[in-house]
Amino acid sequence: MKNFLTKIYILAFMALVTYFGVIIWNLTFAHLIHEYHERHAGNVEYSEEDIAQQEKDKMSFEQVILKSEKRVKNYLGYRVLEQQYIKGHFHHIGFDVGPDKYSYCSSCHGDMPHDNVTKDMRAFLNMHAFFIGCQTCHSRPEGEMTTGVYQWYDRETGEIVSSPVNDASPGTYKAKIIPFVLENDALVRIDSKERIEFVAQYRLNEKDLSEGQRSKAKKLIHSVVSKKPVMCEECHSKENPLLPLENLGYSKRRVDSITSTEVVGMIKNYTKFYMPQMLHPGVADDAVQQEQVQQATPVVPVASESAAPDAKHQAAGEAEE
Amino acid sequence: MLLNLIKRPHWSFGALLIALCLLPGWVLAADMGNCLLCHKYPGLSRIDNDGKMKLMFVNEEIFNKSVHSKVKCEGCHTDITKIPHEPAKPVDCLTVCHIIEPTSEQKFSHKSVKTFIDESVHSKIDQEGKLKKFSEDMPTCKDCHDNPLFRPLAFVKKVRPGIAEDAMGRCRVCHEKEDFIFRFYNHITTRLHKSRSPLNVAEACGKCHDDKALVKRHGLTVMAGSSYAETFHGKAANLLSETIPDCLDCHVVKGKSVHQMYGNDDPRSSTHPENRGAICNSVDCHPKASVKFANYQVHPVFNKDQSPVVYWFTTFFYVLTGGTLLPLMIILFLDLLRRLFPNATFRRRK
Amino acid sequence: MTKYPRIKLINGEKYFFRFDMDLRIQHIFLAGTVVILVLSGMPLKFSDASWAPYLYAIFGGINLAPTVHKITGAIMLLLFGYHLFWIAKVVYKNHYLRMKREGTYTTKGFLLRVVKLPMVPNLKDLKDIIDLMKYLFYFTNVRPNGDEYTWKEKFDYWAPFWGMFIIGASGVIIWKKELFTQIIPGEVINFLLIAHSDEALLAGLFLFIWHWYNVHFSTSVFPMGTVFLTGYLSEELMCEEHYDYYVKVMKEEGYEKEILPPHGGGHAPSCSDYAPKGDDGAASFEKISEAETSEHLAKEGGTAA
Repeated sequence: MKNFLTKIYILAFMALVTYFGVIIWNLTFAHLIHEYHERHAGNVEYSEEDIAQQEKDKMSFEQVILKSEKRVKNYLGYRVLEQQYIKGHFHHIGFDVGPDKYSYCSSCHGDMPHDNVTKDMRAFLNMHAFFIGCQTCHSRPEGEMTTGVYQWYDRETGEIVSSPVNDASPGTYKAKIIPFVLENDALVRIDSKERIEFVAQYRLNEKDLSEGQRSKAKKLIHSVVSKKPVMCEECHSKENPLLPLENLGYSKRRVDSITSTEVVGMIKNYTKFYMPQMLHPGVADDAVQQEQVQQATPVVPVASESAAPDAKHQAAGEAEE
Repeated sequence: MLLNLIKRPHWSFGALLIALCLLPGWVLAADMGNCLLCHKYPGLSRIDNDGKMKLMFVNEEIFNKSVHSKVKCEGCHTDITKIPHEPAKPVDCLTVCHIIEPTSEQKFSHKSVKTFIDESVHSKIDQEGKLKKFSEDMPTCKDCHDNPLFRPLAFVKKVRPGIAEDAMGRCRVCHEKEDFIFRFYNHITTRLHKSRSPLNVAEACGKCHDDKALVKRHGLTVMAGSSYAETFHGKAANLLSETIPDCLDCHVVKGKSVHQMYGNDDPRSSTHPENRGAICNSVDCHPKASVKFANYQVHPVFNKDQSPVVYWFTTFFYVLTGGTLLPLMIILFLDLLRRLFPNATFRRRK
Repeated sequence: MTKYPRIKLINGEKYFFRFDMDLRIQHIFLAGTVVILVLSGMPLKFSDASWAPYLYAIFGGINLAPTVHKITGAIMLLLFGYHLFWIAKVVYKNHYLRMKREGTYTTKGFLLRVVKLPMVPNLKDLKDIIDLMKYLFYFTNVRPNGDEYTWKEKFDYWAPFWGMFIIGASGVIIWKKELFTQIIPGEVINFLLIAHSDEALLAGLFLFIWHWYNVHFSTSVFPMGTVFLTGYLSEELMCEEHYDYYVKVMKEEGYEKEILPPHGGGHAPSCSDYAPKGDDGAASFEKISEAETSEHLAKEGGTAA
């Protein structure tokens, strides 16, 4: 037994010595090699192909996405302010806006999905998307599915959590609002496990699907999206707002602020100034479609190459199996 | 490596909340137009057509602790006159804002900075007023400055810096406006020491001076930030020393502004060979040092072409260290291996 | 010299004298200062590392740690000075004065005697290293028979000796840079910084890996060799590492009959099962070792002091 332990000890120590060897190498000769390569890389005259390759590399996913976000720390003495670095950004951010890891919409559309289609309101819509789940506005459960029940879910885990509203400064919640629907007489989240799994499977198999399969899958995935999204004034209204603000944990003061004349007035202003543009979500040439859109109440499609047509051709309320 | 980059800490605003508690609750004077009604929401953002993230969020608590906390939003964002507004134009830092400078009773402006900068090494124009080559590389305000934050000192509070309530209490005896007391205290105590930690200063300069392409294009001899980090000063800055000299302590003439930096060949520059000796033996640094002391290379580079002596000297020690330790590690390894098989041998013992 | 018997009998086991109290105290001081100096200096050298700020905070961070480092360094230099004095004293008393007394003093003879001091590296060490290589690469399973001080111990001694000189001198100059640069140019400080920190890295790694392995973690001594506290080495370890010297001391102290075979019998490090051989085996071992020993002694001309 003692002999066995000794052997184990020796083996472990051999591993340790190897590790030390690597450290020593890195501290000494590795520097020399690194310097040698650096120096020679600096002296080489690049050929045109090299330069083209370098330009290409600059546009690679690694450079553009993975390496694009830096962090900075400001040492203020009484605290260290660490935040994301956005080039040329003047004001401080102060905390991190983490991605929604649970939403299956965000997995394709991103966390800031509202873009050119709703140009003048995109930032507002993104701001709301930060604490309101996509389905809350883009899905209108019809008929018997309607419940009027909304809950907060954790951005990280997806669990239903208690209201974060009154513990945090406005809009900085770690949770998002998600509607509940009635399916087979049971009260369930609209982003059911089955739907999440469906999207995951689609993304996994996307490459191997045929044209028909792909379109079908997309249609089914977007089948919960209603033609007409929820509009600003449906919630920002003193009378019977769509979201049960009090149940979602908003205090009287916050409810008053959300439905105040200031906010409502601003929405009216925006509607007045920018609604005409909102009526033409990039499909102005097609007269028939334009007519359709004008007949319907304005659409606020999410930004995606496929989202707009999908929304238009949507067969209503067809839930996928 | 990549995983590290993707991973990002979330929601560290617990720390922020603690900081908030220190803040007395008064109404933010700057937000006359109620801009924060919308801009207090951190999600107020979009990705523009170049794929750049535009974040329109203003963190009220942090803004209140910045030197601009008394300036109204529209004092800088002059193009915003009504709500709803068009996408805001870039702010002109030289604009005349609505603050009255108390000594001259004139409206306040950063205009003098421009005259300084135009003369300095960082100007976009040369002495004849023509655009320099690669003038687009030259820094604009926001390349070096974000919104400067107060860094209050408190001598009555020995444990750590910050606002001393004791000192504030003394102010309150005569002054009534809480807002004024807070800002005055912060302004004075921030100005009494470095307005940024040496590490933050080195990082700010390093944004350009450690950029290989920029350094090469402008014919600079060293990567200033990373070579500074190799010296004692840089390492101490890295360990958050507040008193260690940073870039500005040597490159700005004592008593002048950061914006009045000149090239090494300019006799007005503090780093001109003629003036260099006086940097080190200033009363605040190494008072009795001789002029020879300034021969010390503050930007040493481990590169055979740039500084062969440093290269060979360092190489000697690398080889000595590696050459001693690696064989010893091999002996150690073999010794351990021998202990696993104590009696094995190729040859029978005689 | 008689203060410390060369062989001490405790419960019937023999213990061999190695270091007197003076040296042991010097060693404790050296070990203490080295640990503090390395811990308070390395965070600065590797200020980028994630552990650096935490380790530095133990010594009071950037505002205090440099002072701690300097004071500890000063203590170490005092120790170094004392050690030089101690060497001079030993050489003067045990060699210079003795030669004078015996009337055999010549400058050449004295120098020769100094060069043959047991701590001075010699050809036997080179031979031992070559023999060790043969052993480690399985060409033989006979370990070299070490003398009073083996090549490892000489390495352990001279590496820090040189290190202390380099690091100490550069450290003092960097500490009092304003004074020294009245004469030397500032550029030299650059080199001294490199020398100081790189040499310290070498010394630190050397001591904490190599030295600690030999005296702490090797299976022969695990968990800790006690010779640095007691000054006496057990017979078992004496056989393993210093067999030549062991045989010599045993003979001189009149234990000729009790000399053990080399390296615990099987020529194996003492982790392996130690089984004393029968009379025959022991006798033959004795013969071999005797032959080898006398050969060595003849060759090296007696390296012991």
